[in-house]
Amino acid sequence: MRSVELHALGGLAPERARTLAARLSRRVGAPCRVAEAGAGPVALLPGRDQTDADALLAWLESQPVRDAVVLGVTAQDLAIPIFTFVFGRARSGGQAAVVSLARLDPAFYGLPADEELLVRRGVRELLHELGHLARLPHCDHPECLMRFAGSVEKADLRGAEFCDSCAERLPDWMRRGSP
Amino acid sequence: MKAPLRILVVDDEAIVRDSLGGWFRQDGHSVDTADSAREALRRCEPGRYDIALLDIKMAGMDGLELQSRLLAADPALTIIMMTAYASVDTAVRAMKAGAYDYIVKPFDPDDLSILVKRAAEQRSLRAENQRLKQSLDTAAAPPPIVGASAAIRHVLDLVQTVSATEATVLVSGESGTGKELVARAIHAASPRRYGPLVVVNCGALPEGILESELFGHEAGAFTGARARHQGKFELADGGTIFLDEVGELSPKVQVELLRVLEDKAVTRLGARAPVKTDFRVVAATNRDLQERVKAGAFREDLYWRLNVFPLALPALRERSEDVRPLAEHFLTRFTASMSRKPIRLADEAAAALAAYHWPGNVRELQNAIERAVVVTRGDVLEASALPLAVTSGPSHPASGSLEEVERAHVEAMLRETGWNVSQAARVLAVDRATLYNKIRRWGLKRPVDA
Ligand SMILES: [Zn+2]
Ligand SMILES: [Zn+2]
Repeated sequence: MRSVELHALGGLAPERARTLAARLSRRVGAPCRVAEAGAGPVALLPGRDQTDADALLAWLESQPVRDAVVLGVTAQDLAIPIFTFVFGRARSGGQAAVVSLARLDPAFYGLPADEELLVRRGVRELLHELGHLARLPHCDHPECLMRFAGSVEKADLRGAEFCDSCAERLPDWMRRGSP
Repeated sequence: MKAPLRILVVDDEAIVRDSLGGWFRQDGHSVDTADSAREALRRCEPGRYDIALLDIKMAGMDGLELQSRLLAADPALTIIMMTAYASVDTAVRAMKAGAYDYIVKPFDPDDLSILVKRAAEQRSLRAENQRLKQSLDTAAAPPPIVGASAAIRHVLDLVQTVSATEATVLVSGESGTGKELVARAIHAASPRRYGPLVVVNCGALPEGILESELFGHEAGAFTGARARHQGKFELADGGTIFLDEVGELSPKVQVELLRVLEDKAVTRLGARAPVKTDFRVVAATNRDLQERVKAGAFREDLYWRLNVFPLALPALRERSEDVRPLAEHFLTRFTASMSRKPIRLADEAAAALAAYHWPGNVRELQNAIERAVVVTRGDVLEASALPLAVTSGPSHPASGSLEEVERAHVEAMLRETGWNVSQAARVLAVDRATLYNKIRRWGLKRPVDA
């Protein structure tokens, strides 16, 4: 049976990682545990104060796992050379993904901190990347989790659920949970 | 799911190609990448890609040059330039040279997403316009020129040849031979077909009104000229102007017309400066213009300006094998437009049509069939439904010059209508001005006791 292994990276607080793991586990209906292993590489993009998302993804993909999906969650801002930032990265059909909480945090936009909102956004972003690992492309449905969002406002707008046709294509192990 | 796009990413940096390739695939699009201009050119062929993203600065060939070569290979390709801040000026130049837009590296993910979406929308809009234009083409298609005779096939050949050019065409032929139809066919097959076709009958209007019709006038140019009026030459900008009955122009208007043709510009009556206008001329005459030149009634210089590509239409009696197909064509058309059941042409009626000499040519035939459809009650068009002139046997002189035949026919029609010129003109399928000209030319007199 499939499970999820969550790596807390880039100074992510352990309680936050545990909260995310618990919430995600309930959503997909599969075990999700926080990994004990190292904190991963700190590779900054040249000339930019942002973590190289692809370097981090490559490290996560190199982690030895058996029948588990590897998710990295970092507190650092992620980017790749061609984009000013990314919320997350995943290879379609791969077994690892990375998500940054930096731009999901209301504090990033000068708004009052809101732990519940941050965790909710984090879980949704993780589900989106899990969708890519399940080979789902972006979806046009306005309220589908697989819709592309280039800003946090748009990410909030797309809601918390996969649309019916995307949900149908999810693997069984991701469909046992409760919303 | 929206239609996936076919995208070509051209960049000499592998990381750009890979991350954009992955990003677009995640969006459901199909992506090819090229690491050089040469590779991009090798891949590009008409219709293969919807959108190409080009790095503006690559080793070997710069993005601007690559853009112009790609557009030469596929003019419909949508090009988006990728640029660094330092080369935004170049990107602006690229847009002037036909790029759809540019985006500055590194991209905000939302910006790229919106840009590509917008480009896709613009493409489907363009495709929609294309479809619309095609359906307009069908809707605006001129009525077909019917007939299979060698004479008419030759005309169709000439129409096709001259359509592709900008040459001035002089169509000559008797009244009713279809000169306007030919002008419409030339316009419709020419590169100007989306522009207007403006028709002016030079024989139908008095000199002063015709001048203002052709060239326009400013407000207050003459008594009654309250508002500025654009002339037909201005209205024909980007299209074709059809000057019918050009042989009827007065000497004064001939001079003015010659100047407009030479300058490709018109000066409205009462205006100081001319206005440039881009028109193509198709002129037509039912007169022998060369004769008119010899007689001093038509300017020789204007004649040569108009007679660049002469196109002579055969009279219907010179292509009598087309009479029956034409009659059947009109029969189908009129029964359809009058919502009637199909009507068959009786052999006897067909024989009468074939025997008649049709001085009013195709238009007279058309009028005869229209009238016959109206009076026919059943599903067979009998000879009795045809006009008397057609069925009354060889009433026309079997010998004699063409003009004598025509004159006899016109006189007969005037008699038949009690010298109602409008009605006679309709029957003869000519306009009133033409008929008045003929009456004057032949010195026909209305009988005093009529
Ligand atoms: Zn995504
Ligand atoms: Zn969906």
